[in-house]
Order: sequence, then C-alpha cells, then structure tokens
Amino acid sequence: MRAFFVTFLNMLKSWKSWVFVAVTVALFLVPGFVDNNYLVQVLFRIALFAALGLAWNIVGGYAGQLSLGHVAFFGVGAYGYALFSELPSMSKWLALLLAALVSVAMAALIGSIAFRLRGPYFTLATIAFAEVLRLVATNLAVTGGAIGLTVTSLFTGRSFWRSFYFAAVTLAVVTFLVNVWVSRSRFGYYLMAIREDEETAGAVGIDTTSCKLQSLLISAFFTALGGALYASAFQFMIPDSILNIDISIQIAIVTMLGGAGTLLGPVVGAMLLLAASEAFKNQFKESHLLIYGILIVGVVLFLPEGIVGGLRRLLQGGKKGKAKPSVNAPVSIPSAPAGGVA
Amino acid sequence: MTAVLELRNIAKRFGGLAAVKGVSFTLNENEILFVIGPNGAGKTTVFNLISGFLHPDEGAILFQGKDISKMAPHQTARLGIGRTFQIVKPLPGLTVRQNVMLGAFMHTRSVHRAEEEAGKVLDFLQMSHLSEFAARELPLAALKRLEIARALATRPKLILLDEVVSGLTTSEALALAGLVKRLPEWGVSVVGGVEHVMQVVMKIADRVVVLDYGAKIAEGVPADVVKNPTVIEAYLGPKYKEIAG
Amino acid sequence: MNGLLTGALYALIGMGLALIFGVMRIVNFAHGAFLMVGMYATWLLFDLLKINPYIGFVPAGIFLFGFGQLIYLLLIHPLRNRSHFMQILMTAGIGLILVDAAQLIFHADYRQTNLDLVNRNLHLGPFTANAAEVLSFGIAVALVVGLHFYVTRSLTGQALRAIAQNPEVAPLMGINVGRIQGFSFALGTALAGVAGGLLLPRLYLFPSVGEDFTTKAFVMVVLGGMGSMEGAALGGLVLGLAENFTSLYVGNQWALVVDFVLFLVVLSVKPSGIFGRQRA
Repeated sequence: MRAFFVTFLNMLKSWKSWVFVAVTVALFLVPGFVDNNYLVQVLFRIALFAALGLAWNIVGGYAGQLSLGHVAFFGVGAYGYALFSELPSMSKWLALLLAALVSVAMAALIGSIAFRLRGPYFTLATIAFAEVLRLVATNLAVTGGAIGLTVTSLFTGRSFWRSFYFAAVTLAVVTFLVNVWVSRSRFGYYLMAIREDEETAGAVGIDTTSCKLQSLLISAFFTALGGALYASAFQFMIPDSILNIDISIQIAIVTMLGGAGTLLGPVVGAMLLLAASEAFKNQFKESHLLIYGILIVGVVLFLPEGIVGGLRRLLQGGKKGKAKPSVNAPVSIPSAPAGGVA
Repeated sequence: MTAVLELRNIAKRFGGLAAVKGVSFTLNENEILFVIGPNGAGKTTVFNLISGFLHPDEGAILFQGKDISKMAPHQTARLGIGRTFQIVKPLPGLTVRQNVMLGAFMHTRSVHRAEEEAGKVLDFLQMSHLSEFAARELPLAALKRLEIARALATRPKLILLDEVVSGLTTSEALALAGLVKRLPEWGVSVVGGVEHVMQVVMKIADRVVVLDYGAKIAEGVPADVVKNPTVIEAYLGPKYKEIAG
Repeated sequence: MNGLLTGALYALIGMGLALIFGVMRIVNFAHGAFLMVGMYATWLLFDLLKINPYIGFVPAGIFLFGFGQLIYLLLIHPLRNRSHFMQILMTAGIGLILVDAAQLIFHADYRQTNLDLVNRNLHLGPFTANAAEVLSFGIAVALVVGLHFYVTRSLTGQALRAIAQNPEVAPLMGINVGRIQGFSFALGTALAGVAGGLLLPRLYLFPSVGEDFTTKAFVMVVLGGMGSMEGAALGGLVLGLAENFTSLYVGNQWALVVDFVLFLVVLSVKPSGIFGRQRA
C-alpha cells in the first residue's frame, strides 16, 4: 500500500504527468473549435484507433505476440453490445460491460489454444479464429446473418458525434494509463522478457503461459469496448465489415507504424494512418487501403521500430556515446592454499 | 551443521547408457566445490539433476536437508538454487540492468526494489558501467557475468555454475574466477563445473570432485586431486600414469 | 468426384506455399494475391489476344515467376535477417498492395471468360464430369507430379531441400542460399499464378478473388505438415473433398467454415501436420 502512495507522489512531481493532464484536457476541448460534423467523426475514429492500438500494444508490443485476429474481440464486443442492449430493461452501459466480459471469455478460449503455438503458427491461429467467427456470424440468424444488424446508439441528439468523440478519447486515455501501468510493473517486465526470448524467460522462472494469457485478456477487454463503441456509433453492422481481417491488420499497423512497445507509438500511428487514409480516400475512392499496404512495406523495410521507437533509439545512441562495453576489471585472486598446475 | 547440498548415490540412465551412477558428495555452507572430468563424464547431467531439469533414477538429492529429487526447475529455483547455463541465455533487447532485475523479481513485486537489488549485484560483479547497454551488445565475458548476476539477484543459497569460464581468454577467466571466489561473502555456496580450465579450479576451489564415465573417481582438495594417478589417467590416458609421484 | 477435381488444383496452390515456407520459413500472406495476378494475366491474354486460358496459363506462369523474383529481390531478400514477424507483415503488405492496385486498374467489376468447354460434360463410365474441370485436373496433376520429381531428382531441388532441412549448414555445402531462396519464392508464386490461370474459366474474376485461397493454402500446408510439399498436395486433396462433402450435405456457406475448423483441429492436436517433421 505504501508503495502505491509513493508512486502516486512521484507521479505528481514528474513533469510528464502534468503534460499528460494538459493534453487530455486539450483533447476534450477540441470539438469546441471544430464545426464540421464529418471532421468530428474523423477525430472519433482517430481516438478509437489510438485506443485499439494501445490495447493491441499490450499483447503485440510488450509481449511480442503478433495477433492478427484482434478483430474477433472487436466484433464480439460489437455484437455483444448489440444483442445485450436489446434485452428488456438493460442499461446501455451495462450491455457495454457485459459485451466486453464476453470478449474476455472468448480471449481465454482463443488464448488457451493459440498460445501453445509459436511464431507464425500463433498468428495463423489468431486469423483462423477471427475468420471462423466471421463465418459463424454470417450464417447465424440471431446475428442478423449477412444482412446485418442495427444497433442502438449510446448517444442521441444533434451533437452525438461529439459525444462519441469524448467516449473514444476516454477509452484511449484509460488504455493509455493501462499501458503506463504495464510498462512500469513487474508484469510488464515479464512480458518483455517473453518477447525477447520465451524459453529463457521460462528458465528464469516466469510462468509464460499465464502472462501471455493475462495480456490477451486485458487487450481483449479494451478492444471489445472499442468495437461496441464503433458499432453503436454507425448503428449498423454486417459480419463482413465488423469481423473483417482488415481491421486486425489496421490495428496492428497503427501500433507498428507508431512504435510497438512504446507508450506514444499507437497514438502517433493512429493519427498518421487515419490522416493518410482520409487524404487518400479523396483521391482514390476505391482503394484507400493501398496506403496501408505501402505503409506496411515502408515501415518493415525502413522503420521496423516505428516512428517513436526509431526516435528513441536515435536519442539514446547520442547519450551513450561510442564506448564499447567490456569487463576488463583487474581482480586479485586470493592465493590458493597450495601451488597448482598454473 | 547441515550440508547445503547432499547427493546420495545418484544414478541416471538414458536408454541403456548410465550417464551417472553411484555418485555421492556433500557441499558445506559457503564452500566452493568444483565438479571436473573429461568430456562426457556426466557433469552437466549432475547439474540438470540438482536443478530439476532431470530426475534421478536412483538415490536422493537433498538441499538443506530437504529432498528435492523430484522437483521441477522452477520449484528448485524458488527454494534457492540458482543456475547459469553453459550457452549463455541473455534477453537480447533488454538492458543489462533489466536482465538482472528479472532475477530479482522472483522475490519482490516492486520494480523499485528490483532496481536496487540489480544495482547491488551489478556493483559486486563490477558491471555497473554496463547497466544501460542492451544485452545483445555485450561481448562473451560480460555475458557470462550477466548470467551470474541474474542468478545472484534471485538471492540463492546455492549457485550452479556450469562451464562458467569456457570460451573466455585466460585473463578473463581468472578475473571472473576472482569474483566467484567472493560469492560466499553473499552467503552463497557454489558448485561449479569445468572441463578444461584447471587454473581456475586450482585457484578458487575449496574441494574438487572428479567424475569419469559417470562415476566419481576422486574427491579432495585441488592439490591432492591433481596428483591422483586415477585422475591423470582419466584425463590423459594410461601412458601418463607414471607422472604421479 | 468433384472434390477430387478441385483438390488437384488446391494441391497446386498448397505446394507453392509449402515450397516457400519450407525453404524460407516465410508465411506468405500474399499467396492468394499472386494467384489473382496470375488470373488477371491469363485473362488479359484471353481478352486481348484471344489465347485460350488452358494455353495462356503458361506465359502467365512465366510472368509470375519473373514477377516473384523481382519482389523477392526488392522486398524480401533485404529482410532475411529480421524476425519472422516482420517477414509475415511484409508479405501481408505486399498482398494488400497487389489487391488494391488491381482494384485501381481493373475496378471491382466481375469478369469472366465464356468458353464452350465449360459447358460441356464428359461421360466416363458411371461418372459425369465437366470437361473444363477434367482438363484443369489433368494439367494440375501433371504439374504436381512434375514438381515432385523435380524437387526430388534435380540438383536445384536437392539444394532446396537442403536449405529446408538446415538453413545454417546449407551455405557450408556451397549452396548459394539467397539465389535458391529467390528461386523457390519465384517458383512458389508462379505455381499460384498458374493455378489462377487454370481457375479462370470456372470462376468470376475480381480483385479479391485470391483472399480465400490464401487461407485455403495455409490450411493445406498445416494439414500436410509445414514445409512438406507432398503433405500440402495431400492436404489439398483432403480439403477439396471435405469442402465438397460439406457443400452437399450441410450447405454451401459452411464449406469455408470446414476449412478453418480443420485448421484449428490440426493445430491443436498435431501441429506438425500429417507428414510434418518440424516443431510448431
């Protein structure tokens, strides 16, 4: 308990905390200056993808498990909310929570199978799970099949995009804080160890399966909230769009472009990616996804650590200088009791 | 006083081959014991048996009086047996300090305390100047120290050093040996295993156990063991038996 | 019966992917996109030069081979020392670019060829089969068998298998790993392109036609054991049959689900596949 207060006090002293508070406040004030409703919708999507990227960051960035099936949690959150909110006398907010919990249960199931696999097999398994869900949703009546489902909106009224924007920013801020907590906790160190070398991590006494699973559960929870928010904002969804692998790829790219395993990476990535996508959309109506492909190729070839990661490395390189690490410490050895073969 | 470690008539077979048979020895508190023997003598098998990666077919292994023969590696680790590996296994992208902290995390949840522990251990091993380097940037000598540092951060009662100086130049090996000699200051007893670098063994071992083809053929202080004809024969062949006094 | 016919084509696609994975350990997410490129190339030959797809698939295949080489040199070879994660992402990116570029150039219209062959039926004893399918089956089987012999008998084929078994030792045997890997990538994509060409008479052509095939290819490769070309071929047959049965008895829409269920079952129960030698 004492540790908690100490950390809290340290946070108050740190300038970074104040910058964070200032930025958060500023974000909430932004809609006041923006008149265009469409623009607010864009801002909503940026904030949402920042949140989704931050959620993915926990399992993909810190733990280093490349999941390309996160749309499964996104979609389950969306469908969960849509279906739960239809139940009589169900509060919309409770429906939201329940949907996220269902998604967590799904993550437990997916994780228990997928995490037994390594590398590309794991990725394939995540894709497979998401695709199965999409096909199931297309064929079941309760989910509206391929025709789709209408969703009750969380907010109504003329400025409902603004409300959605606030909700998305709140989600992003919360997931950001979760990232901060993870990066500074023992749990976070364990995840990073798993990312670096899973076998060694196990040899050092880390329960790798449990840690990976926990990271997926946390990630799924917030991804589901994002999915529910998205669905309720657009008020209509079909499996082919809400459970599409494209969303999984977008989430991963947002984080990798900005810098996986960093705090600001997903945020920067979301801003850049969505801005680029919007710009492209006006030029090429049909293939705005082309920009995603080009960005992936570019990032992988030239900037594998992402923007924030690359910046960080540049700055650190300067600080350390060019000293070569060595351990040539002259240590005197106490003389042995008798002579030896030396 | 109870021995820190006791092996009673340990045997381990792989298929028809006995890797280790009838091996017994004790390690006393704050002692440095080295297990030596030619290639294939069974040294690494003994280490795997003690740490729990393997279980003995016969006999028992007692750690501070407690039977650990059937325990798994993470259980022995928690009891206080630290281990380094012959092929170093650092976590490449993490810094030296972060690597060591992982060891400290076995006993604390607090990042702050883990940092402190790591700092102390790195100081002792004279590696503080390397704290912020990524493990992948280190040369072998430093990586060997990192292995020890990480094991030391788990606050073990016993540390198993398997071929800890192999691959190092003579001066690097001697420097590291000097540090190993000081491990008992931390209340840690040491069992080391080496095949070749006898200078190290001579200089820092309190006692030596010699294995050959899975059996113990000699035990004693380094000076005595080195003159033992059976030992010389095991290493160099029957022709050299006459060298013994 | 139908399942077998489709299965042979699937086998072709699966073998291409297995080849790439076996030699390079790259999970090629762009495989379906290459199939689509092959399909468009064959279609262009048909549309502009009136070349029958059952002939046109050859130049299309050759084009894909060169195209694959180019992509390998520019985009994949530079990544050979990076993590698999990065390589996977790269192929995913390439796939996206190819699909969207196709969309830009050809737009999302559905196109098709109308060949007589497609409408004719052959009667072989008690079986009735579509003439076009039998033809593509024949070609596919010939290619699969030819490929098998090539990989097992030729010098290049042996180099391929050497690299697949031990990528670190292979260079010590004097094998130019980079060149062989480029070759296998090109060959793998050429196979996908050829399969696309052979599929042209029977399917509608549109930019995302390849997406489903990527997934099917993965299922085949996992079924048969990652890296085993024979396994992938067998996997292709199994898949073709399984899909057919599901279509007939349960319903068309569930056919795809069968793919994934098979995939997940194999991954959970025997990740190394039916013929697999490698750890998952």
